[in-house]
Order: sequence, then structure tokens, then C-alpha cells
Amino acid sequence: MKVVLFGMLFFTFISTKAQEFRTDVSYKYMFSNKWDKAIQSYNFSRPFIEKKQPMLIHGLNASVSYIFKSAKSLKHGINLSYSYFNSSAENENLNNILNLHFLNLGYIIHYQNNDKANGFYTDLIISAVSSGLYRNVNGEPFEYDEKRTKAFGIGGDLCIRAGYYLNLKNKIHLSPFVLVGYTPFIYSPNSEAVINQTKGLVNNYWTGIFTTQVGLTFHIIQPKND
Amino acid sequence: MDRRHFIKQSTLLSIGGLLIPSTFLSACRKETVFEDINYDGKVIIIGAGVAGLYAAYILKSKGINFQILEASANHGGRLGKLTGFANFPIDTGAQWLHGKNSILGDLITKSNTKITLDNSETKYWFNNQLVNSLAQNTDIFEGDNLPDVSYKDYALQKGLGNEYKYIIENIAGDQGAAASRLSVFGNNEDEENWNSGDDDFKFQETFFDLIDKQIANQVKDNILLNTIVSKIDYSQSKIQITDSNNNLYNADKVIITVAIPILKSADIQFIPALPSEKITAFSKIGMDAGMKVFLKFSNKFYDQNIIGGSICAAYADDSIGKAQNDNILLAFIMGEQAEYLTSLGSDTAITNALIQELDTMYNGQATASFIASHVQNWTTNPFVKGAYSYSTIGMVDARKIATQPINKKLYFAGEAMNTNGHHQTVHGAAETGYREVINILNDIKK
Repeated sequence: MKVVLFGMLFFTFISTKAQEFRTDVSYKYMFSNKWDKAIQSYNFSRPFIEKKQPMLIHGLNASVSYIFKSAKSLKHGINLSYSYFNSSAENENLNNILNLHFLNLGYIIHYQNNDKANGFYTDLIISAVSSGLYRNVNGEPFEYDEKRTKAFGIGGDLCIRAGYYLNLKNKIHLSPFVLVGYTPFIYSPNSEAVINQTKGLVNNYWTGIFTTQVGLTFHIIQPKND
Repeated sequence: MDRRHFIKQSTLLSIGGLLIPSTFLSACRKETVFEDINYDGKVIIIGAGVAGLYAAYILKSKGINFQILEASANHGGRLGKLTGFANFPIDTGAQWLHGKNSILGDLITKSNTKITLDNSETKYWFNNQLVNSLAQNTDIFEGDNLPDVSYKDYALQKGLGNEYKYIIENIAGDQGAAASRLSVFGNNEDEENWNSGDDDFKFQETFFDLIDKQIANQVKDNILLNTIVSKIDYSQSKIQITDSNNNLYNADKVIITVAIPILKSADIQFIPALPSEKITAFSKIGMDAGMKVFLKFSNKFYDQNIIGGSICAAYADDSIGKAQNDNILLAFIMGEQAEYLTSLGSDTAITNALIQELDTMYNGQATASFIASHVQNWTTNPFVKGAYSYSTIGMVDARKIATQPINKKLYFAGEAMNTNGHHQTVHGAAETGYREVINILNDIKK
């Protein structure tokens, strides 16, 4: 009951206050040299594993955005986004899995000019990013001294996104989109230890993460009140 | 082009435009570091301890030509296995896995090697009686702003008087050192770097078996035993190694994994001489006397751990974690206590001293049930000369200096060369073997 009530209130709030509410899912490609190097070192240091640990490359992203009402072509809003990456190497007795989670909270500058580019829109998203890296071995969280191994990171994310609105129904739109992003990022010092159980082989705890995404967005758009 | 067509095409182009480069870029990302390395030079590894064996194991996996020169008649270094003395195999050298967050932890999981958490109970020999706990807290050697003084002096400063002498000796002995030589500051720094875990595990078989079966077996064909290196000439482009029989070996790179006392005592002549700062760094790395004595009894009259003896500060029930349970008590003797027992001159004298101490603790039960002993004195082993390395007073960054490669020719590995707080350990030694292969390959790449 509480959930339904909250949902109704939330929808009413969106309908009255927001120009646009979005939720999207996407495939995310990531390149981070430091994580690659830590995993490559893991593979290098363990000739006893037959199946090598894949890099953290392919992930899934889900996000919700809220664009404030405005009569202008340039609007702004907020965005909350979650990404998940996984690397799994199934070896006999050693099924090693790395789970990497990102949470972004950001500010969107949304641009749409229907006079010049009907249906196309562009977003610039600036976010604060936090990450959590976890290791599972043989289906269990990897623990030592009865504590789960984990490493965190923080960074700033800058993304450009372009999409095209498809009108499904009054107020409801769908848009395919592409996104490219760059994230200067700082690892916690134990990130290498979580991946490779070593310290100091992968120097520098900061890195740049490049991402690209392709996905679909579901929009609820209020008619302009101008 | 109508709108529907345009949308379809642009969507497909977007997806294709992203996925095709992604797939291509994914394929470009290599599985390991140095995946494409192609080196036809020869690497000689001096010492077939864990560091040397692990370095060889990695080199073999990369298809690089290598040879190991081992001074003793066996591989394994400070690992060893004694069979026939008890109804379970005994580790004569390193026997605890200190934390499982390490490469060797993964190897143990992968090879399904049976290990058991050692959570045995401890009793203290304190003021001439066995007690379950101590009146004063002895956990004083970790924290902030600790001074660079010895454990012995710091304990006295903190009010742990002479009655705690052998309790402190045991704490320092865990680090392979005499309490009068181990640095509070240095060891605390080491502990802060430590990241493999604090739990100690014992092997149902032995630590030696793990390394022998999983690592040494892969490289045994390339080990030359009974080969005592006496000279390393790295003045020319090819490095020339001479052994004690004047046999010559040529190499492009040499990984030196010998125990630190061998480097300190200049048992190996280097041409040209090693830089003075490196020799100074070697001299600052501590390594004290160490021995393990296994005492076999007909009756288990003793506790699982007995801490604080004046002859031996640490006794431990050696059957813990084993499949069988013969009554074997390990006397783990380090530092000044190991020096004293070594000075007695014979295994019988060493055994008698220990039995006498146990008789005092357990009302003569040791003599009554004693069957046999085995003394493994690492101090008198000419290729080891001690237990394992520790941080001395005023050591600063000696370990880092000692580890630095020379002229892209000489590389230094072994537990004493671990700069990440994992010195003294088997997994720390393996890490240095792997690290030096990385250093070699980085130098080749440059």
C-alpha cells in the first residue's frame, strides 16, 4: 500500500513539476587502463589458471532523470544512474568473479530545438561517480579475516548523449540514444589487492575511464506551458 | 526517406557504430601483461627457493629460456618436509600460510589443497606457572607514532618488566627476531602494508608439498642442484656466473634469490662490486638465528600453544590441522634463544635443554613420555644461515634499495626483498619472483 501511495504521489509530482521524466537502460562499454593492467597482472601471475580473467569491458546501465520545466530549448535536470560490470573466469575449483558497480549522481543540461532538428536532443551530463569493486570466488563473496574484500573509488563523469524522440502515445516517448563519457577516477589503494592480491605493481591510483553507451530511454514529457 | 525509415536506419547505425568498435576494441585488449613479448635471451635464477621457483614458473609460462642454479641438494629453500618421524608429514621450514589473500591463496583454492584455520588455544609460562591470560596487555607494538627502538626497550618503557621478557621474546620471535633487535617502528610499518590477511592456516600435508607439486614440478628439469655460485661478473654484455667448481654459465639477466645472509657475508663475489648503498642496505636487513625442534612423545601432556619459556618462547602442538595425531610438539626457536641452543653444539644437547624446560612446566611428564626428536637448525645451514628477515632499528628504506635491479642485468628477489610488508612469508617470496620477472620484461620492452 505504501509503495502504491508513494508511486502515485511521485507520478503526480512529476506530472506537475517536471517537463520530462526519463528512465533508460543501456549497454555500456568501458575502457580503464588501470583496471585492465591489474587484471592482466592477475592473469600473468597465475599460470595455473586455464581460463584467463576477462577485462571489465561490458556492462549494463540504468538511470532515471528529471528535467525541470522550462520554456527554453536549453533545460536542466538531475540524473541518477547505476552501472554494473562483471568479469568471470570459470576454472576448476577457482571460479573467480569481479563485480564492479558504479553510482552516478549528476546534473543534466538538455538541449532540444524542434525548429532545427525535429525530434533530436542532446544532453551534457556532469556527474559525481562512486564505485565498488567486489570479488567472488566459487559463488561466495571472497572473505579473509571474516571480512569481504572490497575496494572503492570516486571520480567525476562528463558525458555527451544524443537521442531521437519517438512519440508512442500522448506524453509518452521512446528514444534510442548513444552516449560517450570520460571519467577521471581515483581508486582506493586496495583496488589492486582485490583484483590481483598484490600491492604496488599497478602504480598510480588515478585513471581515466572512457565509456560509450547505447540504449533506449522511456520518457514522460509534459506539454510545454508556454 | 520517410521518418520511419530514417529512424530505423539511424538506430541501426548508432547501434552498429557503437557495437562494432566495441567488439574490435575488446579484441585489442590483451589477456595478460607482456602478451606479445618475444625474448630469446637467457635468464639464470640463483636459488631454488620459492622466489626462484615462482620466477621460473612465470618465465616458463612466457616461453623464456631459463635455468636455476641451486646450492643445496634440494629445491624448496626454507621449505622442507620430514616423513617417517610421525604419522603425518612435518614441515621442517615454513609451515603457516599467513592469510589467504595472496597468489598462493588462489593456488591453494585452485589445487584444492586442504588447509585448516589454526585457532589453537594458548597458555603462558609466566612467573613459573602456566596461566591462561596475562595481567598486562602485551599488544603494544602497533599504532601511530611508534618509536624506532627495539621491542625489548619499548616493552620496558611501557611497564612490561622482566617477568614479561620471554613473552616479548615470543612476539619478536614470530617476526624471526630477537626482541633486542626488532624495530617497533619498522615492524609496525610492515604491518601497515600487510594485506594478505591475519588468519594463519596449516596444511594437512605440508607447505613444501604445495610448492613442490604445483610449482617446482613445472620447472624441475631446469634446476641444477649442488651448484654453489661463487662469482657473478656482469661487466660485459653477457653475464658470466662461476660456481665453486669453476663451471661457467652465461646469461643475459640474473635473478638473485639467495637468503640475505649470503648477500651480507659476500659469499658471492660481484664484478664490478655492487654499489656501496646496496651493500649498506643488505647490512641493514635483519636475519637472526632460527630453528625448529620436533619432539615426539607417547602422551599428549602439553597444551596446544605454550608461550614464554626461557629456553624456547613458543611451543606448538604440531598435529593441529593434520589428518593423523601423533604427539609431536614443535619448539619454534628464534633470535637469542636459537643462538644459545646452537651454541650447545649438538642436537642431543638442544633436545635435553628443551625437555628439561618442559619438565619444569609439566612436572616431569616430558622426560617420562619422550620418544625422539628432530632438530632442524636453519642457522647452521650454510645456504640460509638464519630464519627469515625482519626490520631492524634505523633500517628506513633499506629493503627498497636492496631490491633495485642493477644495470638491467641483476634482479633481486626472495622474502627479504619483499617491500610490501610480506617479507618473512612464502607468499611474499613468490610475489618477489613474479615481480622481478615483470621488471625484466619491462626492461626488455624498453
